[in-house]
Amino acid sequence: MRRLVLAKRTLGSLRSEKTIVLALAIQLFIAAFSSFLVVGLVSLYDPGTTGDAFEVEVGVAGNATDDLAPVVQRGDARSAVVYESRSAAMEAFRDGRVDAVLHATRQSSGRVVVSAVAPEGSFRTTFVVSQVKDALSEYERHRRADLADSLARQPLDLPPERDANPYFSFTYTVLLPLLAFLPAFISGSVMSDTLAEEAERGTLELLRVAPLSLPEIVDGKALALVGLAPAQVALWLALLAYNGSAVSNPLAVLALVTGAAAVFVAGGAALALGIGARREAQLLYSFAALAAFGLASLLPQSPQNLVARFAVGSPNVVTWLSLAGVLVAAATGYAALRWLAGQTTG
Amino acid sequence: MNPRSVLRIARWETTRSAGDVDRRTAVAFVVVLLVIAALVPALVTYGPTPGEGIYRVGVDDDDDYRGVVAAEATLAAVDRAPSGVRTGDADLLVGDGGFVWADSAKGRASLAALRSATVAFNDRRMAREDNQSAAFPVVVTLTYADQSVSVTGQQTGDDAGADAGDQAGDTGDQTGDGTSDGTDGGTDDGTAGTEQPDSERDDDGSEAVSDLPSAPEGGLGGLLGDQQTGTPSSLSPPFPLRSLILAFAFLLPLNVVIQAYGSSVLAERINRRGEPLLVAPVSPADIVAGKTLPYLAGALALIAGIAVLVGAGPLAVAAVAPLAALFLAATFLGAMLARSYKELTFVTVTISVTLTAYAFVPAVFAEVHPIASISPLTVVVDSITGEGTTAGAFVLSTVPPALAATVMFGLGTGVYREEDMFTQRPIPAKLLDALAAPLDSRLRVGLWTALFMPFVFVTELFAVAVLFVAPVELSVPLLLGTVALVEEIAKSLHVYAGFERGRFPRTLRTSLVLGALSGAGFFLGEKLLLLTQLVGLPGIEVAQFAFSPSVVGLPPGVLLVAPLVLHVVTAGISAVGAARGRLEYVLAVLLAVLVHVAYNVAVVVGVA
Repeated sequence: MRRLVLAKRTLGSLRSEKTIVLALAIQLFIAAFSSFLVVGLVSLYDPGTTGDAFEVEVGVAGNATDDLAPVVQRGDARSAVVYESRSAAMEAFRDGRVDAVLHATRQSSGRVVVSAVAPEGSFRTTFVVSQVKDALSEYERHRRADLADSLARQPLDLPPERDANPYFSFTYTVLLPLLAFLPAFISGSVMSDTLAEEAERGTLELLRVAPLSLPEIVDGKALALVGLAPAQVALWLALLAYNGSAVSNPLAVLALVTGAAAVFVAGGAALALGIGARREAQLLYSFAALAAFGLASLLPQSPQNLVARFAVGSPNVVTWLSLAGVLVAAATGYAALRWLAGQTTG
Repeated sequence: MNPRSVLRIARWETTRSAGDVDRRTAVAFVVVLLVIAALVPALVTYGPTPGEGIYRVGVDDDDDYRGVVAAEATLAAVDRAPSGVRTGDADLLVGDGGFVWADSAKGRASLAALRSATVAFNDRRMAREDNQSAAFPVVVTLTYADQSVSVTGQQTGDDAGADAGDQAGDTGDQTGDGTSDGTDGGTDDGTAGTEQPDSERDDDGSEAVSDLPSAPEGGLGGLLGDQQTGTPSSLSPPFPLRSLILAFAFLLPLNVVIQAYGSSVLAERINRRGEPLLVAPVSPADIVAGKTLPYLAGALALIAGIAVLVGAGPLAVAAVAPLAALFLAATFLGAMLARSYKELTFVTVTISVTLTAYAFVPAVFAEVHPIASISPLTVVVDSITGEGTTAGAFVLSTVPPALAATVMFGLGTGVYREEDMFTQRPIPAKLLDALAAPLDSRLRVGLWTALFMPFVFVTELFAVAVLFVAPVELSVPLLLGTVALVEEIAKSLHVYAGFERGRFPRTLRTSLVLGALSGAGFFLGEKLLLLTQLVGLPGIEVAQFAFSPSVVGLPPGVLLVAPLVLHVVTAGISAVGAARGRLEYVLAVLLAVLVHVAYNVAVVVGVA
């Protein structure tokens, strides 16, 4: 009961300082920032994804034009313009009438040598080059098929191309793990802050005059902070689902976050109690959290991968076992913290 | 400022920090750092894939595609039960010469992943073929060339030296230098459009691929690397990976420094620990400088070390230094305003995220676009590639953060006094204190408006960097709104603080005077924006609206007076609101923003 009162007070101070608002704002900013980045980067490759129809005009010349031009023309985002000579194509390129030039020469060995020219130092460069790459890869497949008799092994047929969302993998393997672990990390950091501050101000003594033991104080604060992490993540999951990125195993993800938050909070509290000064405790906490995350990445399924697998709906036995492992680690870590707190009181 | 007392405080800060750490903590630090050092090579070799096994492909063990699935980490092989896709046990089935995929975003993503994995698999399979010219029947050499779209007939015509390429191509491996000087065309007078394609012929076969115009002088040309040769799948479109890694290499250590620095500043405010220093015969500026010096030196040492590691020159260090100062300045101000360590944690995270974004977003375009010169990291990239940085780009990337850092330290030092350090008040109230503190006279209002210019500038640069990829119809209105909002806040926030803290009488006359002074100060400070001219940012359509909406098309007299009138009027509006209270202030700023936007729209439309 007394722990609940303390938990409520911890939450109350977070609210009155508006820190929780700030925390949500930071996470929103990070999410927006990383999404902006990915959308920006993807749009370098594929401007079509941002809604702008954009077509690359490719000037084709050389003695393999008859083969190459139809392949170039076949792509959705490109069209071929045939020129009689390389110089004519280059002139068109410089005038901006075509975006790239392919000059293809068939050799006696059957190999086609292509000299490609793309615009330099412009936004479209990346897109133009990826379209050129697409066209030439397609052309390579055609040529391989023509020369099949000279090959001992045959290349496999490619699966068909369907409009896949280019951000799909990013959402589940980067954005979601980020949004899941950031609150857990911040919870641990805040735990270390509150205990270090109480220690530095000397108010920990005051709290102990109240009918509360140190383990109970730690319980109260931890309850609030560990609970906060899954609450924030639940909010993100809801927001993502609203945005059309459904999350398959929300409860498993939340359990994982709770476990991670408990581990981080226990670690942060232990450091604050052991060191008693915020600067050192906080620095050590950051490094230790980094090291813990790095170590966990060496496990059969890294933490990031666990979130991704649960959220995308592809967990296997190892994934579930890992979740159980995280929960066990959280319980053990927290028990160790309580023991440490009991030792500190003496 | 007294250098001796600054140095003494700096020394004290250093020895005290070292002395504070007990042996147990020190050992723990060493252990954790060793673990991290050992982890890096392990992670690099092991290389965990975050997306491992997220796509489940039903495929038989003896199927050809089994090898494809095994070689790609994101794909996991599962049983090929015919009902797999329907029951959700698989996202994609392969075999019997067909592909069946779930009709969902995940199913389509699986298909795309399998497709690109198959391409890579085929390349590996073909590499083992004896007949390599049949296995890789297409060889491509990619070169980059400048493309001047401005059709003015002034292009460096170089259309000769060309058709010989049809024959020279047969040598199979062209080694054109791609940097011919653009004048060797000879037979051509450089006037576009008068050319008969087949009329010229250059007999010199070695000129085969030399019909690429020269790279622009001192610009971003040539940064992309001269050329790549290989199979089509080996082509790699230019990708800003290097700036991504650099951003993290340079900025992550700064986060550690500001965390320690922020703790140290806030620790002074706990239990009145800073009181002895405050009553000592040194000025607050000395104390702040002394406390900051060790951390700044540490940050610079870290940056220099990283620069040596990544192979960047002294110029790179000089470019990142102002950014480091800005990190520290923002943290200092944050630690002066925060009430507790908890709050400081959030303030620190906000600072590092915001500033990292500022340095990072423009640098993404480091090898692609002039917009990148906003970020100091671009200087680093240039320093590594050996490409020179123009003086203009260097100034643009360093001066605004340096000025912003100075102003922030100034604001923080203003509240480095007893009544603010040892009291617990909400951040906004303290911020108003900090803003009101330097306003000793009315003239100071104008001065501080001018001093806010770096922030306005930095924000606007960032807005341009974020918005310029968007289509013009969307980015220009958004940008006009942002610019107006940022500028109006900069002109009025400290005026509001002055009224709230009783610095000025709340009369109509005072508010009008303050508004006029603030507007005039802004007008003068705005000359800082001329910096953008140095790197030709106004050449970008979006940037033009942000920085020089009135440069073209108006008579010179109007050109000079109109912005002054605008700034004085809008600052007057918000000052009148500020004198009346918070709600009135917010409303008045909104009104001022509207007036500002209307003016900008009028100018833009008038010019267009």
